[in-house]
Amino acid sequence: MTSTMPDTTAAAPTPKSPGRRTDLRSRGEPALWGLGGALAIGVTMILGFLALVLANGIATFIPKPITVVTEIGGTVTAGEPFRSEVFKPTPDVIAALSPEWQARIDAADGFARRTLYRVGNFDLYGEDFRWIPDYAVATFAQPKSLMFVERMEWGPFVGTVKGFKLDGADQIFTGLDDPKFAKIHDESRARAREIRTIERSRISDINHTLESARLELRKIEMQSGRSSSAYAAAEAGLTSRSTALQREYDTLAAEVQKLREANATNTLTLADIGGREKLIEFSALVRLYPANDMNFVQKLRVYFLRWGEFLTGEPREANTEGGVFPAIFGTAAMTLLMVIVVAPFGVITALYLREYAKQGRLVSFVRISVNNLAGVPSIVYGVFGLGFFAYVLGGSIDALFYPERLPNPTFGTGGLLWSALTLALLTVPVVIVATEEALAAVPRSMREGSLASGASKWQTIRYIVLPRAMPGIMTGVILAMARGAGEVAPLMLVGVVKLAPELPIDGIFPFVHLERSFMHLGFHIFDVGFQSRNAEAGKPMVFVTTVLLIGLVTIINATAIIMRNRLKKRFAGSQF
Amino acid sequence: MLKTFAGALAVAAALAVPGAQALDVDPALKDYKKSAGVEGSLKSVGSDTLNNLMALWAEGFAKEYPSVKIEIEGKGSGTAPPALIGGTAQFGPMSRPMKAGELDDFEKKYGYKPTAVRVAVDALAVFVNKDNPIKCLSLTQLDAMFSKTRKKGGKEDIKTWGQLGATGEWATKPISLYGRNSASGTYGYFKEVGLGDGDYKDSVKEQPGSSAVVQGIASDKFAIGYSGVGYKTADVRIVPLSAKDGGACFDASSDNAYAGDFPITRFLYVYVNAKPGTKIDPLRAEFVKFVFSKQGQTGVIKDGFFPIPSAIAGQDLKAIGVE
Repeated sequence: MTSTMPDTTAAAPTPKSPGRRTDLRSRGEPALWGLGGALAIGVTMILGFLALVLANGIATFIPKPITVVTEIGGTVTAGEPFRSEVFKPTPDVIAALSPEWQARIDAADGFARRTLYRVGNFDLYGEDFRWIPDYAVATFAQPKSLMFVERMEWGPFVGTVKGFKLDGADQIFTGLDDPKFAKIHDESRARAREIRTIERSRISDINHTLESARLELRKIEMQSGRSSSAYAAAEAGLTSRSTALQREYDTLAAEVQKLREANATNTLTLADIGGREKLIEFSALVRLYPANDMNFVQKLRVYFLRWGEFLTGEPREANTEGGVFPAIFGTAAMTLLMVIVVAPFGVITALYLREYAKQGRLVSFVRISVNNLAGVPSIVYGVFGLGFFAYVLGGSIDALFYPERLPNPTFGTGGLLWSALTLALLTVPVVIVATEEALAAVPRSMREGSLASGASKWQTIRYIVLPRAMPGIMTGVILAMARGAGEVAPLMLVGVVKLAPELPIDGIFPFVHLERSFMHLGFHIFDVGFQSRNAEAGKPMVFVTTVLLIGLVTIINATAIIMRNRLKKRFAGSQF
Repeated sequence: MLKTFAGALAVAAALAVPGAQALDVDPALKDYKKSAGVEGSLKSVGSDTLNNLMALWAEGFAKEYPSVKIEIEGKGSGTAPPALIGGTAQFGPMSRPMKAGELDDFEKKYGYKPTAVRVAVDALAVFVNKDNPIKCLSLTQLDAMFSKTRKKGGKEDIKTWGQLGATGEWATKPISLYGRNSASGTYGYFKEVGLGDGDYKDSVKEQPGSSAVVQGIASDKFAIGYSGVGYKTADVRIVPLSAKDGGACFDASSDNAYAGDFPITRFLYVYVNAKPGTKIDPLRAEFVKFVFSKQGQTGVIKDGFFPIPSAIAGQDLKAIGVE
């Protein structure tokens, strides 16, 4: 204070008023503006990111109208307008245009506009998207008869319905409200689902029994050799069993064949805008809608049906279509498994460090090491997980418990368990640090009170300290979970794959298959965005999947936060 | 490499030249018939170019055998040999043939060499942005653009589009180069055939996936890059190529690929651990059979590559002891 006084008086003679400046600074005004500005920038960036993802992701499934473009040369294209941009046509292109267009392009400084149409029909055209510049267009039209057809294979079809066949007999297509049309579609889809159930559960059971019998035989062979009596008995058993199973399999296969044949007689003839026809089975038809002839409710219905398919379906066509259910399931299962591992480990470590260990050089060294662990790049954890968990631990498990399956690895390759353990390692520092802070925040007086009443140290920790530290511990676990659910890089090494429709939990003993590889939403985003054949069609799916991943993390976090708040309330009354 | 490719196809090409417009599989290929008792799990580790194709085959195969578990991993052809040697994968898809060193490593462990199954034909396309005016490029010019060693004998380093004859705003614009990362078989193949085993320039932007190369070119007007023909989108254009300066230019069409006219045509492979003279297990055998069936090769068309003629399919099936 005394040192600034002469300063102010010295500055007083200048005509400008430094007094106000000092005033501002002393009120902390610049710092306030700086902090507020930083916050505003941060919030804007987050909101902008969320808005971008949400706007793109939510709009993806809205059914769009189909435009028929007739070009001046006579070429006709039908498709959904996808996006448009301005570009600079080359001089020779401009020279060939009509004077009117030349003048228009000239007026726009040599720029013209073009639009990208999603034309579909990849099986007929060999391309799914086409650019059409405005100057090439003769007429636009939006005929009501045009249908957008979503198929199981080859991506969408844009065109008209020529007719359909019911049990092999030709029918005339009068419109989508024809009850016969809806009926065969439903029946065909039901048959397709039945085929799937038979194949998925019953045939799969037979194959599974056969395979385990074969493995059992191989095990006996490895233990007692080919010439032993046990092997001969087991071999005879396998032969008789496999004949019985084969018979059962044949009946089921015949059943499936019958259903397939029934489906083959119900077909739909589609024609593209140029009149080229394409025959598809009703069972391969996901849905079709007249894109230019729908009211709001019908559009909404298609929109929600598409969301439903996306959330509950399996991926098709190398992940670019269909749903992401296996990825949702895999992400959730892996995150939960990780929490089950990381929470006890982190809490126990922190308890020891804070409550039992003698505070000294060694403990602070351990603490620094733990904090440093949080800064190790995640891919390093991935390499460690692959090298240690999968190859060393998994390899030994295979050699000990599954020798009959070798050389095919069971645990000796990436899988759900190894991924969860790797992520647990990655997130354990977060839990340790948070738990230590929470333990430190429990007032000393409470511990002393407990000890004075005759409780042992463990009883004090168990009944006094831990419950009060619980909300803080939960915060650590929530942070760990959020980090774990969004992490992709290490998972690519230890168990996440592009395609694994088999869920890690199913009806086959032992029900939970920790050794299985799984799909993950984060990796799905990477895969669809950077690895799919058609990057253009994949882009909207990237946004939808991102929305989903953000949603999933929000749900997991919200659940944990609600749990934490309940805990907090429970102890709110007992705090002094 | 190029010669062996052309030679292998020369016999088959005459038999099966698909139609010019809608590509179709060789009618001599068989329909897939499923057999009983196929169960177990398959894992494929390898090429990123073949990633989608393997996924399509896995989907088709899983339709026939719902209880078979198939996992696909595709981070680059370089990851296939270690996975096959370590036994962590049954299939090693690769977009280039194995190198001598990789073959030796495999032989050291198993006593025989892995078997290469040729599953599809790919014209390794050179992509430019859709607005690019370039009509044709020779391999020599490509080498002069991508390589700092210029083994193909280009006289000067090509740095701008003007050096390739482009006019107007293109004349002074520098060429922006896109390529694959070094784990990729596409990287290796382009280096061998396109650059004559020379070195890439440091300015080549290495991308983690085939599709990423195409996306990069789509958003960068002055870009050029190489990737599998199946990854073409509406935002990029494939440049016709000639083998020599001033030679005839060929588009990356299926006909030119089969005839061997397109200068950087290659086979895509799946490597299998098959002991010569023995039959491989039914699960893998059925998968390879599926790949060479009508359904499997339709998947190749679906993914934008060119299907294999039945003559080659027959040879390769025999090589792994499958009838």
